[in-house]
Amino acid sequence: MAVLTASTIAASLWSMPTHSVDESPTPASLGAKIFRDASLSASGQMSCATCHVPENAHAQVNDASVQSGGANLDVPGFRAVPSLRYLNFDIPFFFANDGTPTGGFNRDGRANDLVAQAERPLTAAHEMANSDAATVAAKLAQTTYVGEFKQVFGADVFNDPDLAMLAAEYALSSYELSSPQFRPFDSKFDYFLAGKVMLSEQELRGYYFFNSQQKGGCAGCHPSTSVGGQPPLFTDYTYDNLGVPRNMDIPANADPAYFDMGLCGPERTDLANSIDLCGQFKVPTLRNVATRKVIFHNGEFHDLRRAIEFYVQRDTNPEKWYPLDDNGVPQKFNDVPPLLTRNVNQSEVPYNRHPGEAPALSEDEIDDVVAFLKTLTDGYDPATGTADPARDVPTSPQP
Amino acid sequence: MSHLTIRRASLAAAILALVSTGAHADDAALKTEVDALKAEVAALKAEVREMREYRAAQATATPTAPQPAPAAPTVAANTGPGAGAGMPNPGVGVGEGTTLWGYGQIDYNHPTAHAADAQADLTRAVIGFNHAFDDSTRVYGELEWEHAVASSSDSGEVEVEQLYVEHALAENYGVRAGLMLIPLGLLNEHHEPTQYYGVERNFVEQAIIPSTWREGGVAGYGSTEFGLAWNLGITTGPDLGNWDPSSDEGRGSPLGSIHQELQLAHAHDPSFFGALNYNGIPGFNVGGGVFTGKIGQATSKSTGGDPNFPADDSRLTLAEAHVRWQPGPFDFAALYTRGTISDTEKLNLSFLGQPTPVPKSFWGSYVQGAWRALEWGQSSSLVPFARFERFNTGASYASQPFGLGTPALPTERVWTVGANYYLNPNVVFKIDYQDFNHDDVALSYGNRFDLGIGYQF
Repeated sequence: MAVLTASTIAASLWSMPTHSVDESPTPASLGAKIFRDASLSASGQMSCATCHVPENAHAQVNDASVQSGGANLDVPGFRAVPSLRYLNFDIPFFFANDGTPTGGFNRDGRANDLVAQAERPLTAAHEMANSDAATVAAKLAQTTYVGEFKQVFGADVFNDPDLAMLAAEYALSSYELSSPQFRPFDSKFDYFLAGKVMLSEQELRGYYFFNSQQKGGCAGCHPSTSVGGQPPLFTDYTYDNLGVPRNMDIPANADPAYFDMGLCGPERTDLANSIDLCGQFKVPTLRNVATRKVIFHNGEFHDLRRAIEFYVQRDTNPEKWYPLDDNGVPQKFNDVPPLLTRNVNQSEVPYNRHPGEAPALSEDEIDDVVAFLKTLTDGYDPATGTADPARDVPTSPQP
Repeated sequence: MSHLTIRRASLAAAILALVSTGAHADDAALKTEVDALKAEVAALKAEVREMREYRAAQATATPTAPQPAPAAPTVAANTGPGAGAGMPNPGVGVGEGTTLWGYGQIDYNHPTAHAADAQADLTRAVIGFNHAFDDSTRVYGELEWEHAVASSSDSGEVEVEQLYVEHALAENYGVRAGLMLIPLGLLNEHHEPTQYYGVERNFVEQAIIPSTWREGGVAGYGSTEFGLAWNLGITTGPDLGNWDPSSDEGRGSPLGSIHQELQLAHAHDPSFFGALNYNGIPGFNVGGGVFTGKIGQATSKSTGGDPNFPADDSRLTLAEAHVRWQPGPFDFAALYTRGTISDTEKLNLSFLGQPTPVPKSFWGSYVQGAWRALEWGQSSSLVPFARFERFNTGASYASQPFGLGTPALPTERVWTVGANYYLNPNVVFKIDYQDFNHDDVALSYGNRFDLGIGYQF
């Protein structure tokens, strides 16, 4: 009964597209099957759902900073796995009038939509590791749903492997765009905005500190207000260089000459000469951030509280976050080439402080912000006061 | 048939009669006589044209704001020196019943503590038109360009500030419909640079009364022999659904940040205004007005609106009172205004910690004195002035739980001292110094030195 009540309230929080009761296969229904089909990978053991686990808000469930893929699941990746939830609201990459890079998919924004985004995992050596479109098409042709695939995309879709792979990417995109489980808007904070529950005193304090420009100033990049009738998504789709410490758990970082510089490469290539953008990564949504096993683009942090500590103490206590040189001086921004450390955001709240100054948030205030961020977890049940993103996932795969 | 038409017909008949009579004279005498008559007709035509233009201008000047008293000095009762009444100067005739008018302003601001922020700006260039369809009906419009260049990548704007049709039902009352100025305060309807003292418009009538404040709707106006002018209207209103708590704009001007300017305006909730002005004593005006209406605009139910919006029933009420006295070369004015916005508690709860929640109340007042100290010839004059303003755009906020509410903003105080030099009544050069008690870089509040050029025609 409690679940029924929660579901009823959740449905009233945000109108969601309904699904056709027609049994005919659709791109979206095919996308749901492809999403969980490990047979499409070189290893036969990795699907989209392996890293983007629906029950964990479409993000990873292990603690690895980066996941490994390939034929033997032993090729390490370069970046942490992002959640796929609320990605349907993302927008193609562009430069705003003031020159701010905005939008785009992947942490460096190099894909302009979910169709383009779906291409990389199918062929990347450290992910599903198919060598080419023909390999993907051949595997698609062997699936149990190949008949439905032909029914939707045409009997001769496999005559052109590139077309078959594009059809699979389109199906995945359709699934992510149409399925409400990717955008349930049923967190405690959504209930709060709807006036159906009240946040606790600690959560409200945390919300205050989150928004306040004299405290966390988090809302500067993670807006918490509705825009155009849409509940807040806690991202402004821009990019920032936070100077996150280098993560030596990423094998690629063993090479001191290797730097992942986001917008300007090495994975993205079209902005390689935009030196001022080096080190910038996309601002992610904070919805479900309390369920993340890894935080930031390089997965350096595994604990939400510690990540917030880093935000507010990076500049007041750099010795806590960066290795010390022989003289005991913290090597700030050690995951950015030395000549590009000026690119690190050092002007906005809460980074505008110096050693010896008080951090923007006290230890208690950090606890408050963590309490608030936990209200952004999907699948809130007002009857029990608990949240679980798995509540948004149907018991059997469906679009 | 109008008097002009009758007069023109009579002239034509007289000419025909004279020409007929000329058949009995010799040709040379007749030609001389006809030439003389032609010249006279041409002169009369010019006179008729001038009369029409004057009549059109008079129609344009039908007041919504206090009329100048009949025997007022050269300074209009509710405007600055050299101004017309209720509108810019009569303008330039461009055709039958049509006049064009305009004004413009170029400013230079030099913050004394932040000289690097000194700025010069073509603040606005305005072209207006008036067309009288007949003796009782006209259309009136004002088109404005702000900040010199307007494009998607520039800061300028192009605006229609006024566009309405007006119909006089009788000599002293009528109705108008369209986009019109709200008749509150001393400045909103008289915002041309020759009409106010100082390079910039006063803060109270920008921050509290959001000049230039216009809404779309229908209004009635009129005046009595006793000298009482009145205005009543039903219009669109601001849209609280557009409030941005992360922006400084609402702190600069609560209503200015959510006005709609009849730009695809959400119009679920009508607003009402009323204004009274007494002008029965030459050189003296006292008046006031109220604007009120719900400003939630049914946001929670509107297409594209926030379904969780908790302030559909929020109501704005803004009231003001003013007085102006112009004895001889002196010009004294005072104004007080206060606004309230109801039902903001739940909305501000969702904005907790944001820099700009919705205020529960806001107010402002000023006193001003000016003296036409020097005059040259018939039209040039130097008018030093001083103005003292106090205003608060966040005088109070609805309370929030656990002491997390927003404290009232500090009241801003501004002294402005300077002078307007009128080369002629329609061209003004300005200089002033402004002293603020609180600096606010985001709102450009800080002691500064200003220069300005303004004109109107």
